[in-house]
This record gives sequence, structure tokens and C-alpha cells, in this order.
Amino acid sequence: MDIEGRGGESGTTATTTATRRRFALPVDAENKSTTFRLFSVAKPHMRAFHLSWFQFFCCFVSTFAAPPLLPIIRENLNLTATDIGNAGIASVSGSVFARIVMGTACDLFGPRLASAALTLSTAPAVYFTAGIKSPIGFIMVRFFAGFSLATFVSTQFWMSSMFSGPVVGSANGIAAGWGNLGGGATQLIMPLVFSVIQQMGAAKFTAWRIAFFIPGLFQTFSAFAVLLFGQDLPDGDYWAMHKAGEKEKDKVGKVIKHGITNYRGWITALAYGYCFGVELTIDNIIAEYFFDRFHLDLKTAGIIAASFGLANFFARPGGGILSDLMARRFGMRGRLWSWWIIQTLGGVLCASLGQIDSLTGSIVVMLIFSVFVQASCGLTFGVVPFISRRSLGVISGMTGAGGNVGAVLTQLIFFKGSKYSKETGITLMGIMSIACSLPICLIYFPQWGGMFCGPSSKKVTEEDYYLAEWSSKEKANNLHLGSQKFAETSVSERGRATTHPQT
Amino acid sequence: MAIHKIFFASLLICLLFQISHGATKERLFSDLEKGALEVTATPSREGVLDAGIDKLSITWKLSSTATKEAEFTTIKVKLCYAPVSQVDRPWRKTENELFKDKSCPHKIITRPYDKSPQSFEYTLERDIPTGTYFVRAYAVDAKGHEVAFGQSTDEAKSTKLFSVQAISGRHKSLDIASVCFSVFSVLALLVFFVNEKRKAKIEQSK
Repeated sequence: MDIEGRGGESGTTATTTATRRRFALPVDAENKSTTFRLFSVAKPHMRAFHLSWFQFFCCFVSTFAAPPLLPIIRENLNLTATDIGNAGIASVSGSVFARIVMGTACDLFGPRLASAALTLSTAPAVYFTAGIKSPIGFIMVRFFAGFSLATFVSTQFWMSSMFSGPVVGSANGIAAGWGNLGGGATQLIMPLVFSVIQQMGAAKFTAWRIAFFIPGLFQTFSAFAVLLFGQDLPDGDYWAMHKAGEKEKDKVGKVIKHGITNYRGWITALAYGYCFGVELTIDNIIAEYFFDRFHLDLKTAGIIAASFGLANFFARPGGGILSDLMARRFGMRGRLWSWWIIQTLGGVLCASLGQIDSLTGSIVVMLIFSVFVQASCGLTFGVVPFISRRSLGVISGMTGAGGNVGAVLTQLIFFKGSKYSKETGITLMGIMSIACSLPICLIYFPQWGGMFCGPSSKKVTEEDYYLAEWSSKEKANNLHLGSQKFAETSVSERGRATTHPQT
Repeated sequence: MAIHKIFFASLLICLLFQISHGATKERLFSDLEKGALEVTATPSREGVLDAGIDKLSITWKLSSTATKEAEFTTIKVKLCYAPVSQVDRPWRKTENELFKDKSCPHKIITRPYDKSPQSFEYTLERDIPTGTYFVRAYAVDAKGHEVAFGQSTDEAKSTKLFSVQAISGRHKSLDIASVCFSVFSVLALLVFFVNEKRKAKIEQSK
């Protein structure tokens, strides 16, 4: 599968100040690939893609390994509905903090080291799940294993470093979508592994414990693959480039400041909380919902629950690709409109899901809903790479963290204990989704416009916007060159159909 | 074309709503004859019983007050949760509609109905969770529908209850494996870090 961007034609293939490097794929001024070849593992672009999505997939499998086995675990550990709710909240709350930190860590150390370090240090939490004996133990292992979801930020950062503007939405969407697939795959994998182990002779309450070694081992080995075969940037690894003086180390404080003072990052964080946050919540509750409400057995409930997450295979990438397609014709305004419409429709479908009493109806609506909500996630990260260049990591981290905050809040308000039935909780979650998607209308880029306004009459250019993040002193030291190159390639966000004042 | 698809999809969804709201008359627990069978459940020892090890001595016989005896074909004996084990656990909820009721999930034994008093020595299964229980026997007719029941406790489910402690499921070998794999992961990370630092130093000295 090939996705062509237009950057390769209009951009110059300038040689870098160091040695001339040749790449398997066509590249732009920053040596980022302008095309996306799915079945290639060519160094460094496509290899980085495959390593990062697979590592993220393994982390998702581990984080959501418990929910499909909850009907067994809740009896072994004598859990109450409150305990289960708390564990669900814990599983997504750890990574709120981790995602924010991961953004900065990527800016400073590079996505390869940052992500592998996180994955290897959270693997013990998955292994120790085999030995827990109380509700507290359960909450703790879910909390610490959940930190690994921060590899999402490193995935997006890595893709944004390897792929150029016209294809970055697609690259981000496919990598994240295939990672999120883990949340669905685990609902199939864990009950299957559990029943195989049970058939080998283990008691129920031992078999689920042994099952947890599978996601743990996958997580460990995916991190090894990233460390051994991955590369931070098209031109090399951070450590090699730092020392060779090619990549200047930026000041942490400045990077963070420019990130958090950009209001658009906060809006994307909130909106992402109600597409990705909804997806995480559903991953946590859907298997139990089908098991309890429709009296299904563990494996059947797991299969249905899995189909929600498995839609990620094409739904989230579809969102990213749609974002890029809309940008080609309508520029950034197209990205924003498509995002808002799809996310709002996702909320409507979520609200209807809770109202349906029949099994078939629930499955059909759930499947349609899953496509819309996951596409919204892809559409979000079609916009995020353009919000800031200097603080890309921080913005990605904030948005990613916002996704988890949404999941935490939603589970806290609607899915803890026995206050609301699960059906009511799902409906209310849908309504909250619709409300929290409205701020997308407020995102405005002076050089491209927003949903309801065109570009600024003051004729602001892409260069003005991105270089505003650097002081004149920093510019004098040539620290802004990366942003300069990015500004040049981002001119494609003006779109084709509009009569942009400067084209 | 897209309009047609959207219209069809919304029609389908509306249809599904209609189907889902159709009502059927379900069999209710409150319709069953109470106390038709006299059931006793005697634990093999005092205190909290261990799943997989301890036994229950269960007996059941026809009560003198039973009226539907002619319909009894099979007796299904089940282990049921006492109210204290149902608190904050909606998956064990007592519902009046028999097909929805989840308070008696553990099957003990099923026997064809016999006029004479019956007994059974039940060893608590290894997958019985920790909780407080009583025993209930359902009398089932030839169609497979429950018609009457009897239980080892009173109507309020407060007397003659017994407690069970589940197996932990943990094993020393699992705990050791956890520690080994965890240490391996963290050590591997440190090895990689040290290696990267070394490579950076070499690069710098070039």
C-alpha cells in the first residue's frame, strides 16, 4: 500500500550540512519521508514505523489484559464492583503523568530510548500480576502496567520525526491505530490463552495468573527490538547527533513553556479525552458489560469486546488518511471540520448504544460507534503535528495525557461502584463526548484559519507562526533552522480549493 | 449514493430499536412454590470451609406442605450466595425473572425426582469464590421449567449460612518466575543504556 504525499515534488532535496545520505524513500528538506510504504521495512523510516506500532501494541495488550478475565479474577480476589472500577481508573491514570513526561523525554533523549525504557520498566508490573492476592494488589499492578500507554506519545513523536506533512496524518493514524488494536486483540488473546492453560490441567484460579506471562514477555521483547533495530531520526540517533553538533539540545524550560502556553494544545487534549478516553473506557468495561447483561460466556463476550478494539486496524488509520485527504483540498480547515463532525457522530452513537436492549442491536451499533470514535482519534493527530514545531513532544504529550484524563474522569463519574447501571453510564458518556467536542470549533491558526474563520487578514505566514516560538537571540544562534524547514513544508496546509490570500 | 447509505443505516438502527423493545412474559421466582422441599446442608467441620477440601452433607426430601409434587421430574441442587456476598457485586444479583437471576450460579448435583429422602456428600469445588452461602434445591418439571424449591436457610436468607474461603491460585513457582523475568527486563535496560553511553563517548572522542 502506497500513500503519496505532494511534498516530494515541491520540496527540494537539499543535502544536509554533513555527509550526503541516501534513503530508500523520497524525502523532504528535513530528510523526512514523503511517502508511506506499508509493506516495506526500509531503514530508517518504515522500520521505525513497524517497531513503534508493534511496541505500542504490546503495551496495550498488557494494560488491558485484565478486563476480559475479570469474571474469573473478581471471584479469585473477592473484588467488589467498586474495586473493579477503581482498578479501571488506575489503569489509565498512571499514564496521564507518564504521557506528559514522555513528551519532554522524547524532545530530550529521543523516542527510541524513551519508549524502550518505559516499556522495560513497566514489564515487571505485568509479571507480578501472577502473584497478587487482594484488591489492593490488583489495583496496583493495573496502575503500574498502565504507565506503558505513554509509548503512544513516543510513537506519534517518532512518526512526526520520520514522515513529512502530507503523509504525517496517515503515518500517525496507522501507527497509533495498530497500537490501539492491542486493546481489542487482548480481549481475544487472554481468554484463549486462559482456556489453553486450563485445558492443560491448571485450576481456574491459577490459569489466569499464568496467562499474564504472555503479554509480559511480548512487551519485553518488543522493547529489545526497538533498541536493537530502531533509529531516532532519519539522520541518526539523538546521542550521535548531539555529539556531532548536528542536533542542538534545547532548553527544557523553554520547550515546556511554549507547549503549555499554546491554547490549541489544551483544546486537543480535551477533545482527545472524549474520543480516545471513550475508547479506553470501553476497553475496560465492554467485556463485562456483554458478559453480565446478555448472559454470554467468557469467550463469546471476549470476541464481541474484541471487535470494538479490532476496528482500530482500519478505523484509526482511516481517520488519519481522511485528515490528509481533506488537507490536500481544504487545508487545515478541512482537517478541523472532518474531525469535529466525525467525533460528534461518535458521541451520538455511544449514547444510543446504552439504550439498546437486544444483543444483535448492541453489536451492530457498537461496531459503527467504534469506527467513528477511533477515526476521531486519527483525525486528532492529523492536527497535532502542526500546533507547534519546537514543542511537538510537549503538545503530543499533553494531548495524549488528555486522552487518559478523559478516561479517568469518565470512569470515575459513570462507571465506579453501582451508582449507574453500565447502560446508563454508556449513554451519559456519549452525551459528554458531544459536549467536549465543541471546543474544536475554537481552534484557529492565523496562517490557515479555523472552522468558522478564514486565515488572518494580516497575511501571517507559516514561517511567522513557527518562528514566533524562537527569540531573536536564539535565531541568531541558528537554533530555529528545524522549525524553518518545517514551516516551508507546511505550506501544503493551505489547501487547494481556497483562494488563500498569499497563493 | 452516500445519502442512500445513511438512510438505510438509520432505518436499520430504528428497526433494531423496535425489536429490542418487544416484551415477552418471563417465568418468575415469586411464582414458584416455596418450601416444597426440606433441604439441609451441614458443613463437615466448624468455621470457614476451604474450597476444594471441605465437604457439605446435603439432604432433601418432600415437604408435607408441597402441592405440586405430581409435576416434579428432576431436582437441581445449587449453591447460592447469601445477601452479604451480593453487596456491591451486581454480577451476583437476585432477580425475580428466573433467566436473569444470578444468585445461584454453582451447580451441586442434578438427580431425577425420588419420593424418598435423598442425600449427597458435596466436596466444595476449587473454583468456588470466597463468600457466604446456602443451598437451594429446585424442583423441575418435564419441560425443564422450575415449579418449586426449598432451601437450607429461612426466607430472609439469614440463618444456617456457611462461609467458604477460596483457593488462592498462587504458586511459589509463579512468584519466582515473576521475579526472574522482571529482573531480566530491568537489567537488560541498564545494559543497553550503558552501551549507548559508551558509543556516545567513542563518537565524541573521534
